[in-house]
Amino acid sequence: MFIHLFNGLVYGALLIVMCAGLALIYGLRRVVNFAHGALYMLGAYLGYTIASQTSFWVALVAVPAVMAVLGALLDRFGLRLLQDRDPLAVVLVTFGLLLIVEDFVQTAWGKGNLSVPVPALLNTSVDLFATAVPAYRIAVIAVGAAVAIGLSLWLRHSKLGLFVRASSTDPTTTAMQGVNTDALSAGVVGLGTALAGLAGVVAAPFLALSPSMSSDVLIDSFVVVVIGGLGSLAGAFAAAVVLGLIQALGAVYLPDAAALLPFALMVAVLLWKPAGLAGSRT
Amino acid sequence: MSLVKLFACTALALAAGGAVASGLGSATVLSLLTQATVYAIFALGVGLLLRQNAMVSFGHAAFFGAAGYVVGILLQLQAVPAEAAILIAVGGVTLFAFLLGLVVVRVPGIAFGMLTLAVGQMFFLTASRSRGLTGGADGMNVDWPSTLFGIELSALLRPGPLFVLCWSVLVLTLLALALLLRTRFGAITEAIRDNEERARFIGIETLLPRAAVFALSACVASIGGVLSTLNTGFVSPETLHWSVSGVALMMVVVGGTRALWGPALGAIVYFLVKDLLGDHANHWMAIFGAGLIVVIVFAPEGLSGALQRLAAAWRRAGAAGHPLPLTERLP
Amino acid sequence: MTDYVLQARDVAIHYGGVKAVDGVDMTLERGQIRGLIGPNGAGKSTVIDAITGRRPLTRGQVLLRGEDVSALGATERRRRGLSRSFQRTSIFAQMPVRKQVELAAYKMNVADPRADADDVLRELALDGLSEATAADLGYGQQRRLDLALALVGAPTVLLLDEPMAGLSVKESLDLARHLKLLAQRRDVSVLLVEHDMDVVFGISDRITVFELGRVIAQGEPAAVRADPRVREAYLGSAA
Repeated sequence: MFIHLFNGLVYGALLIVMCAGLALIYGLRRVVNFAHGALYMLGAYLGYTIASQTSFWVALVAVPAVMAVLGALLDRFGLRLLQDRDPLAVVLVTFGLLLIVEDFVQTAWGKGNLSVPVPALLNTSVDLFATAVPAYRIAVIAVGAAVAIGLSLWLRHSKLGLFVRASSTDPTTTAMQGVNTDALSAGVVGLGTALAGLAGVVAAPFLALSPSMSSDVLIDSFVVVVIGGLGSLAGAFAAAVVLGLIQALGAVYLPDAAALLPFALMVAVLLWKPAGLAGSRT
Repeated sequence: MSLVKLFACTALALAAGGAVASGLGSATVLSLLTQATVYAIFALGVGLLLRQNAMVSFGHAAFFGAAGYVVGILLQLQAVPAEAAILIAVGGVTLFAFLLGLVVVRVPGIAFGMLTLAVGQMFFLTASRSRGLTGGADGMNVDWPSTLFGIELSALLRPGPLFVLCWSVLVLTLLALALLLRTRFGAITEAIRDNEERARFIGIETLLPRAAVFALSACVASIGGVLSTLNTGFVSPETLHWSVSGVALMMVVVGGTRALWGPALGAIVYFLVKDLLGDHANHWMAIFGAGLIVVIVFAPEGLSGALQRLAAAWRRAGAAGHPLPLTERLP
Repeated sequence: MTDYVLQARDVAIHYGGVKAVDGVDMTLERGQIRGLIGPNGAGKSTVIDAITGRRPLTRGQVLLRGEDVSALGATERRRRGLSRSFQRTSIFAQMPVRKQVELAAYKMNVADPRADADDVLRELALDGLSEATAADLGYGQQRRLDLALALVGAPTVLLLDEPMAGLSVKESLDLARHLKLLAQRRDVSVLLVEHDMDVVFGISDRITVFELGRVIAQGEPAAVRADPRVREAYLGSAA
């Protein structure tokens, strides 16, 4: 039982990192980024290549950095130019991007499953509640927690965090106050994609790399972000953990119900409070 | 377009279908065109929702696939004759969509898209896991009987006749929709789409018409779903996946929604270009994705919009009797 | 007691800590034109919103021909004859002019919707533009279309929210005179929110003055004009 709960927390932690990026991008650009899953996958595959040439730890730093640049470019040359367009059109653009990135990954790395070895340092097991638990997975939980706490603190207490929150609520007024909202957007989108890449690198050692990994995680991320409520990152973090637990426990005890439950919840939330997703910005 | 012109175009299109079927010898090409036509009908449904309600659905594949499953299950159980199974499938899906629509059309913006995605995924998961009923992840065969509406199926399912059947259904569906949208119902849905608030303030109750359009779009999608099972003899959970809805949306956007037939054009272009690419077809999704982005950014009215503008410019040049000024030559 | 065609009783609208309208009593008699004036932010448009069902009432009642319509939605109120135009032009951009006015007429219980629509279009000098798409019209023509959508279908009460907004002086005066004639000819009672003092005092039978969500004066134009509170709050000593 415990091991299932533990695995649920691990997946939940991964979702936290994914959804943080998704929520940030939505908050600032009002775009549901369909390409987010593909970026996660790209991060994982890039991590695989970098890790096999150098080490996992180099990949852990390099991949988010590369993804951040990619994200900033995506914002500058994509989202910013489309910001006055119908949001649904922009969503479809991200969908087109998803297809392009997925194809690129398949072409560059092939369709077979790849695996990334767990870094030597963490390749042990720890005894927790009388169960042997891989140390690496504990580290993943730690990463998730760090992202959740770090991001929350940053948004609440730093000046940049304030700008981000202001720009998410009312970009026009924020810009009028002298904040460079374009640079801010590029930065935040870059941060969001970096987080997706980080999630990919971190996930690689314990989830197999495959061409379908983007789709699975993407849908779960959407579910989390909707249930948690895009207004609050804290909500998304809580929902991520809950979803991770449901998935892990459900897979063992009630597979069919567990698969449907997240979507049923998503439907319920969207019917009850669509405003959180439809945008309060006029 | 006047009523006379509409019927004339329909007759012409039907005739063209017949000509293509008898003129083209290649079974492969006809088969490709048939598949394109089936998806054109599906895309038409998705596009109708976008055009009349300004709503984007990521879950319409559920209606496409569900119709196929209903027919498949009914035929397997041999509960009703095949003709009835078709009517039950389309009618049942439409009715369900109307009831669902009454609830979901109230949800605005991208939230609606996410909602339809979730509902569609629930259908996908249910179909994937119900081995007993639907054959699970492997899908199920659809056992058509030897005659359908009095026609020998072995004759009907040959490439030529099958294409004519699917093409005719597409053309007649377009005609039916065009006629429907000329009625007051069409005017009401246009008003709601243009300015929902004012529509309410001139006495239009907005929920029922929008739910009706949702149901209508599901109806068209389900017709495509039934034809698909006729075409392939098979239905699987993959057809219910949200990515299929996504591809249909791409066809709609590339084809354009200004013209009612835009989405059908998008679907046909999708299949024809994919086939033309041959070896490069491995990268087809990326190419189509890039094409989608290009269309959204540079030609938001899609291919049909561009064609319509070209036609209008041509007509103006003809009427004026002299060459087009430079600005009008550019589409 | 006079039979009021429209009555607002102790209407209040509060939202998010703001008391936009706070206890307003107002009446409209048949065939009357009542002008609503007051500084910006005084709550005039909000009152119109509340009466027509665009905003929910925090408190109070709205009575149409003596019948309480407070619980009804905007669509239902319109069908019973409570019609309005919009300050920010609200029309159906992609539809031809006649088609949309006819659509509005069909939704009401008139004997001949087509004739009614044609009639209104002629009254508002839009009959020459019947086949034009609304988006192609000029600003003034679009304002008249907005008005036409409200006027068609023999409404009992017409609430006009700054119908002259953006019109030139000449256009405003023309429209004002026209409105008065139309109201008489079609037996419509009018509630008019407007900033142009000449217009309001020119055509209104009664005036209601708003300030900070409350009514500070009501009555015949001359009396209101002379009222010292009104002068102080709104008109200024030049009036």
